[in-house]
Amino acid sequence: MSYFDEKEPPKREDRLGACIAHGSTICGLANRKNCKCMNDGDRLFTQGSICQLLPALAIMDSFADSAILLHGAVGCGSCAHAQNAVTKAGNAARGRPAKDTLWLSTALDETDVISGGEAKLEAAIREIDARYRPGDIFVVVTCAPALTGDDVDGVIGKIQPQVAARLHAVYCQGFKTKIWATAYDSVYHPLGRDLLGLDPEEYEPLFARDEIADMKDEYQRKHAVNVMTVSSMGRVDELELQRILASLDLTANFFPLFAKPEEMYRVTQAAVSISTCPTHDDYLLYHLKEKYGIPCIISTMPIGIENTGQWIRDLAAFFGIEKQAERFIEQETAELKSALAQFEPVFAGKRAFVSAGEIRSFVTAGLLTELGFEIAGIRSFHHDEYADAEYRKLAAKTKEDYVVNIANAQPFEEANLLMRLKPDIFLGHWNGNSTAAKLGIPASVIYNTGLNFIGYKGVFEIARRLYKQLTNTAYNRKLSVHVRLPYAESWYGEDAFKYLRQAGGEASA
Amino acid sequence: MRNFIERPRYSCALGGALATVSALPGAIPIMHAASGCAGNFAWAQSGGTGLQIGGHCGGLSVPSSNVQESEVVFGGAERLREQIENTFEVMDGKLYVVLTGCVTEMIGDDIRAIVTQATSAERPVIAAETAGFRGNSYFGYDSVLQSLFRDFVEKSGSKVKNKVNLWGIAPMLDVFWRGNIEVLCSLLAKLGLDVNAFFGEWDSLDRLRTSSSAELNIVVSDAYGVEAARLFEEEHGTPFITIPLPIGPSGTDTFLRKVGEALSIKDSVVSGLIEKENETYYRYLDPLTDPYNDFDMQRYAVVIGDCNYSYGLTRFLADDLGWIPELAVCTDEPKEELAEVVAARFATLESGLRPSFVFETDGSEIVRHLSERWPSSRGERYYHAFSPAFVVGSSLDRELAASIGAGHLSVSFPIVNRAVLDRSYAGYRGGLHLVEDLLGAIVAGR
Repeated sequence: MSYFDEKEPPKREDRLGACIAHGSTICGLANRKNCKCMNDGDRLFTQGSICQLLPALAIMDSFADSAILLHGAVGCGSCAHAQNAVTKAGNAARGRPAKDTLWLSTALDETDVISGGEAKLEAAIREIDARYRPGDIFVVVTCAPALTGDDVDGVIGKIQPQVAARLHAVYCQGFKTKIWATAYDSVYHPLGRDLLGLDPEEYEPLFARDEIADMKDEYQRKHAVNVMTVSSMGRVDELELQRILASLDLTANFFPLFAKPEEMYRVTQAAVSISTCPTHDDYLLYHLKEKYGIPCIISTMPIGIENTGQWIRDLAAFFGIEKQAERFIEQETAELKSALAQFEPVFAGKRAFVSAGEIRSFVTAGLLTELGFEIAGIRSFHHDEYADAEYRKLAAKTKEDYVVNIANAQPFEEANLLMRLKPDIFLGHWNGNSTAAKLGIPASVIYNTGLNFIGYKGVFEIARRLYKQLTNTAYNRKLSVHVRLPYAESWYGEDAFKYLRQAGGEASA
Repeated sequence: MRNFIERPRYSCALGGALATVSALPGAIPIMHAASGCAGNFAWAQSGGTGLQIGGHCGGLSVPSSNVQESEVVFGGAERLREQIENTFEVMDGKLYVVLTGCVTEMIGDDIRAIVTQATSAERPVIAAETAGFRGNSYFGYDSVLQSLFRDFVEKSGSKVKNKVNLWGIAPMLDVFWRGNIEVLCSLLAKLGLDVNAFFGEWDSLDRLRTSSSAELNIVVSDAYGVEAARLFEEEHGTPFITIPLPIGPSGTDTFLRKVGEALSIKDSVVSGLIEKENETYYRYLDPLTDPYNDFDMQRYAVVIGDCNYSYGLTRFLADDLGWIPELAVCTDEPKEELAEVVAARFATLESGLRPSFVFETDGSEIVRHLSERWPSSRGERYYHAFSPAFVVGSSLDRELAASIGAGHLSVSFPIVNRAVLDRSYAGYRGGLHLVEDLLGAIVAGR
């Protein structure tokens, strides 16, 4: 029985043993006896974070010709105001009209919470279908209707025959999982259930099925690569991967960001799927493999010289074109390294602290070591088995051990660590740089859709940004003189992991 | 009865409450909610409040109990108790405000009992019930004010002459909140008043604590903070007046006169100030005279905003700038009584203009309201078009502006395409800023 036969996907704590509360070091994590599993800890003090709703919307907001209906209180989905800007820019970068994302809220009130919101949901879907005529309506289930027990699948099943749009339920109850990466599974779930099986002939009818059409399909099946995208990847990153694939005579089918729902079935017609972030895509890639026989490669993120090389080699090995790939890698690496030489004097020996999503934080740390930085510490939003390979790569590279903090943001731990470690530069996720900035540390965002991070070009662009950011650090430096973080002075004298309770003993920084 | 709201131009009660507490100097919010609420609001601000996110303790710094399935099953009281105790250790605060979310209110945690146990004179803890299903962000703003007035503000025996409190500008929801508060406080100071606005530059928790000695509460809104003003009057005996958010000379003249009347300030003092401020305003406007007339900068206008801005902007455009607002849209959903008060304002414009006024939450419907007011072209050779036109609204109204060939300025939430720090649109000075920004948008491509 597949996960996709269920109404909603399992949470990642259960499916992957993922966890969010841990304090260790890079060597400590790399040398764990029992890899894969790690029992999750708890925090006795926590700060607000995100839930699966946010990354899920970041993906869905980009779907062409779709309406996103938030079934919940009026605040759920306010985050779309930020994502809207990203979606507009993303559409423009892809040569499409830069329109506002269509998102709506059932805005449940006290009455709805007491008597249930099913009738309102049903009426909302009908009205949205009639007024906006979207191709698809994604109904997002939030905390409140999950607690009142609204049967969203029931409502959808009942009215689907009466509306023009395809209807999908996306389960994003914030209280359900600590691992917001479950969001990816929540979005992939309806794609896998409802959209991948659509009949191509219905949406892209051929005038005639002739030899040319057959050859085209055949070529597609031999050369097309499903390149799984993440919402942090802008078009510039896609173009870099497209360039890499083209050099290997392969074509890229980017999925799922900015996909058109009725064309999503195309991922079932490729030679292979490759992940660009292992913890992002396994749920769908294994489904594609099991149901449609598309093999998949889930190994690393193509960020940094070594990891981009590995990403290409994995792909080349699948197609048996290793020699061609090695030539390409050698030439690209040589050219890049000579271009990076100009920055070496600025970067050499500087200490960097990295904080971001699981894989992203580790591969970025790897990239920084390639640029000549030393790593002062890493914070990663969660841990699961997909990080183990990255721990080992980093542990092998470092002379000195350093702290690794698994935390779903929790900037109070970060403030404490930074105060102690005083790195020369901080690289943080979008909305995660202000702690370092207010401590006067220059910061460099590592999740800003539209900036280039990926591939060989990404290495160079990151280096250029770091060079710029280190050239004048006045903004954060001056800010730190006048602006205080909200923590008590005494907190900086405590152990950063004071409030962490983890299996296998207390953590300490 | 509506079934949904298109791209709501506010968040939920918790979002408004969090922005309000984050804006209070020295206050630390403690959210008793699911983990994603904080990030949701931070992202909303990232795309909605003119490049302002959080504050001293906002964004992802906010202490939050991050309740999970286990709390849903067994209750979240213990988790909250532990969270409050440890918040005292980690965070540097002078007041702690517990804010509840949907999940914790639905599972029925007894917040009052926990807060009563946790609070002390040295570390006051209060709470506000701000589950998202209770209302929108403006409701959350009002709820927090009510909790502050009921549980934090001290009782005071006597009132101090010329001491007033001012509110009605919700932090972040009014993207220009800091500038607006500052401008109005400065103006009232010129009348010799000691103004406490809670969230302003000169304000502090100590001033808030002793705000009950004010002789008058001034709410610069027909809608926001009015319930809190009623509660303040009941608890502390201070009467209140409500005046629409004053934008530009006409609105601000009225504002000053109303305040003067309520406090029995000598008419000559009030009139003197009004005259002086108008003189300054028009001295700044003087060199604009040639360009304004030569470039024919008069526009037809559509105004889109909340209860404060829809009227305040319309009055400024109609009665000061001499534009022609044809349609004014309030994107809130006020109760009937309040809706009537707000709607009635539009029938009092001094210029005699009577724009259509509608309550409409859905941006894409606004063009329909406009076509009801202004007939669309039927292909006639001489069509009297809605042009030249301008849309003053949020950044979500750029598509409307583009579709009718109008200029556009983002003033109401969400504002994604501007940077706002101390800019104000309130008062006389705010009127000047608005002239700069509206006309600046018209000549941007010059």
